[in-house]
Parts: sequence; structure tokens; C-alpha cells
Amino acid sequence: MFLINCPYCGERDQSEFSAGGEAHIVRPKQPTELSDGQWAEFLFMRKNIKGVQLERWNHAHGCRKWFNMVRDTSNDKIHAVYKMGEKPPIK
Amino acid sequence: MLNYNSPIKDSKNYSEIKISEVEPTVKINLRGKNRDFITKIGKELSIIPPADPNTSSGNDNLNILWLSPDEWLIYSNNKIDQKNIDDLEDKLYNSISKVKIGSVTNVTDHWIMINLKGSKVFELLSTGCPFNFNKFKNLKGAVTQTLINHTDVIIHNKNNNDLNIFVRRSFSNHLWSWMNDSAKFI
Repeated sequence: MFLINCPYCGERDQSEFSAGGEAHIVRPKQPTELSDGQWAEFLFMRKNIKGVQLERWNHAHGCRKWFNMVRDTSNDKIHAVYKMGEKPPIK
Repeated sequence: MLNYNSPIKDSKNYSEIKISEVEPTVKINLRGKNRDFITKIGKELSIIPPADPNTSSGNDNLNILWLSPDEWLIYSNNKIDQKNIDDLEDKLYNSISKVKIGSVTNVTDHWIMINLKGSKVFELLSTGCPFNFNKFKNLKGAVTQTLINHTDVIIHNKNNNDLNIFVRRSFSNHLWSWMNDSAKFI
């Protein structure tokens, strides 16, 4: 259990949020031109790294807004939180 | 709109906590982003929707609660009859939804309003809620959306130890039972 600083509502308990997986995955502009393998790569394949990862989160039981987070998956330390459309503050 | 039929219709007193359902009250959900939308609301209701997160604004009759950067909930302080609910909805619909600067949804039947009063209301909520009420309880007009016993709620700090809690109709009996059970042990 940890606290997340929602960019809209402020600091809340993790139980109010739901994780939306890896962030900044761009949808292909012409999906019909992709092979099944390329489409599956976009749809399913994720890095799932141990360490600092860029993730999407949703404040499901609060403002219901999506936002991005830089989180270390090995110890749940949150390095930064930023709104959708903004560039990640840490590379 | 369906005929309004409240699911709880009850009021309970415990030592230093009073729990009661306050119905029927009007509840209208507003969504919009641009300046015109805010201006129209202010013009129609004489209340400006709050821009600051977790706050509310209001007058003697109506309150507007901040739900997200582009969403607000209007509710009435007092019980209100069906005609007044329809009139308010029509007025907002014609000035906002019809001209496509935002959306107006009547959620009177969707949310149930439960009023909690007494010196131990925050002790009761803290037994099943992940939200930190330390600052909230001293801020009159503060609003939060959180979970109470795994149930989604909107909490409006109306006055000192006087809260209005909005819960979805289908969860209202569950939350009502839980609050009454918990209040016995506070």
C-alpha cells in the first residue's frame, strides 16, 4: 500500500487508483497495413521492466482522470506524476 | 423521469452520531470546459462552479461540488418537489446542452444523499475509508470522492461535523447498513 499524488485531487491512497499499464505506447496510424505479428506487438507486448518505468494510472474512485507516473517497480517509489499529453520529467 | 422512490427512508440516532437520508433533493451533473459554460452556469444559478479541486460553492438553496476539472455536481440544500427539479433541469438544459457548450444530466435518481451529524462522524468514516480527514474536517465546503467500505462516495463537508454523503442508489442500502453497524461500536 502506498500514496499517490493525483495531479488533480492531491495525495490519495493507492486503493483509489487503478493501474493502466505502460505509458507512451503510440497506436499505429494505419492498423490495417500491419501484419498480425506487428499488431500483436502493439497490442500485447510490454517491457515489464524491474526498475523505473513510465506508467498510466487512473484515479478510478476519485476524479476519474488518467495521468502518467514514473514509478520504480522494484520498490514502488514514485519519482514523478504528470498529466496526459505532457512529456515525462525523467527519461 | 421515473417517479422518485427513496430506498432507505430512515433516520437513526446513536451516541454523538445521527445518520439520516435526506430525500428528495435535486442532483444535476454538469460537464463542460470552456469559459462560456462557466459564465452560463453563473448567470442561470448565480453561483460560479468552483475551479479549485476538492472545493464547493453555493448559496441558501443550491451547492455546486467540484468533481473533476471539467465536472461538477449541483444539489439542493432542502427537499424539493418534482416540478422544481424539472424546472431547474430545463433551465440548465436550454442554456447549456441545447447550445452544445457542455452537458447537463439529471442524476437525482442516481445518487442518494445521506446526512451525518455529530462529533464522532469522522471516527465512523475512518473505520472504513482510506482518505485522510485531518485537513478535510476543518475545511468548511470541502469535497472529496473516495471509498467507504469499498463503496464509491462523494463527501461534502457542509459544516462542522455535518456531512452530506452521496452514494449510488444500488449501493445505498449496503452503505446504510454498514454505517449503522459501525456507529454502534464508536
